[in-house]
Order: sequence, then structure tokens, then C-alpha cells
Amino acid sequence: MENLASDNIEIAPVEVVKRAAHDFAAALADSAQFKALDQAADRLRLDQAAQQAMAAYQEKQISWRALMMLNALSAEQKAELEELRAAFMNRPVGEEYFQAQTGFVTLCQSLGDALSDSFGLNFAASCGVSCCG
Amino acid sequence: MQTVLSPHLQEATQALIDNLLASEPFLNYPQARRRLNQDAESRTLLEHLSHSQASLRQKQANGGVGQAEVDSLRLLQQRAQRDPVIMDYAKSQQEAINFLREINNEISELLGINFASAANHATC
Repeated sequence: MENLASDNIEIAPVEVVKRAAHDFAAALADSAQFKALDQAADRLRLDQAAQQAMAAYQEKQISWRALMMLNALSAEQKAELEELRAAFMNRPVGEEYFQAQTGFVTLCQSLGDALSDSFGLNFAASCGVSCCG
Repeated sequence: MQTVLSPHLQEATQALIDNLLASEPFLNYPQARRRLNQDAESRTLLEHLSHSQASLRQKQANGGVGQAEVDSLRLLQQRAQRDPVIMDYAKSQQEAINFLREINNEISELLGINFASAANHATC
């Protein structure tokens, strides 16, 4: 770690912290989980039907976000959402993308927890991320 | 489930944590938090303010907020704004949060994915 001495307290300058952030991002981009997600995203771009199925599912999730937050979806709405999700997941690339995304998110959550535990602030919440991303 | 990190990622994560903890915002924030925790009067005032805000939000949601409660909350807010220990704590916390956002932007730009969103546990 590079530091500058100032008033007997070692302070890391902003540019040094940013360099550490770049190294961290590069290490994360080099992880198996990121590479798997990147590859799945490439394959998804080549499958128009899967893209449409994903867009339809996401669009519905966004329009029903408030209801989902309140856990107030009707049985019909839940069934419709599940049907849209299944339409995406039934495509081979859909399943692959979902698995890759889950793996990457799990890794990021673990890293975010390590950051949050170290300085006593919730990393995701501090960055303005709510339950809906 | 415990995620196994590669040595490279583990090292990069630790270096980021070490550098963040040695940055000015993250040296100031724990100091201000310590000063707040050591000052019973300021701490009580802040707890009282948080409690009043939560209670008012709850009542607003149920549609029953009285003027007296609004006035009481305003008074508490004014007292907190005059309290140097609370204000120093709030300012240092905001600076630490702003710095975290800046760092998240750096990471996210390189990845092409919002890292904080991916690291978020909360779901709808």
C-alpha cells in the first residue's frame, strides 16, 4: 500500500485509492464468474428469441416493481411472471445466463460484505442501491 | 454459501480495503463516530431524532400526523443542527459515502457492470 505521511497520520491519497479500485476491478474481471457471465452475455446477444423473452420478463418486473416490493402481486400476476421467467429459462442460453449471473452476484455480494464489514458502512446501500438495484 | 476467492482477488480486495481505511474520509468518519459515542447528550439527541423521524414516517403512511408532532420533530432537527458533534458525524459520514460512490464508479466503469448493484443483498 502506498501512503503519504501527513501530521503523523498515514493518509492514502485519492489517486492511490483509485488505483487500488482499478486493481480490484481488474482482479474481479479476471475471475471465473465474471468470464462466465461475459461469455453468457455474448451468447445471449446472438439469440434474439432469448433476448426478447428476457426483455418481456424484465419489463413486467419493472412495471410491477411497487407491487412486488409490497408483496402484493395477485396469484394471476405471479403466474404470469413465472411464465415469462420460464420462457426465458427454457432457452439454453437463458439457463446459462441465469447461472452465470447468480455466480457473479454471489461473488460480488461476498466482496461487498468484506468491504462493508471493514469500514462499518453498507457498501451497496451507501452507493444508493435499493432492493430494486 | 462461502465463496472461495482466488489469491489474486483476495489480495486486490485487501489492498482496496487497506487503502480505503487509510483515506481521509475513512480516517475522519470513525473518529467522528467515536466522538459521538462518547458524548451521551449528543447520542441521546440523535437517537431521539431518529425515533421521532421513524414514528412520523409511520404515522404519515397511516395518514395521521398532528401539527404538534411535526413541530416537535422540527425542534429536534434544529437542536441537532446546532450540535457540533452530531454535525461533524453527519458530515464525515456523508463524505465517506460520497467517496465510496466515487470508488464504486471507478470499479463499475472498468467492469461495465454496476458493482454495488451486483453486491446488493436486498431484493423486492
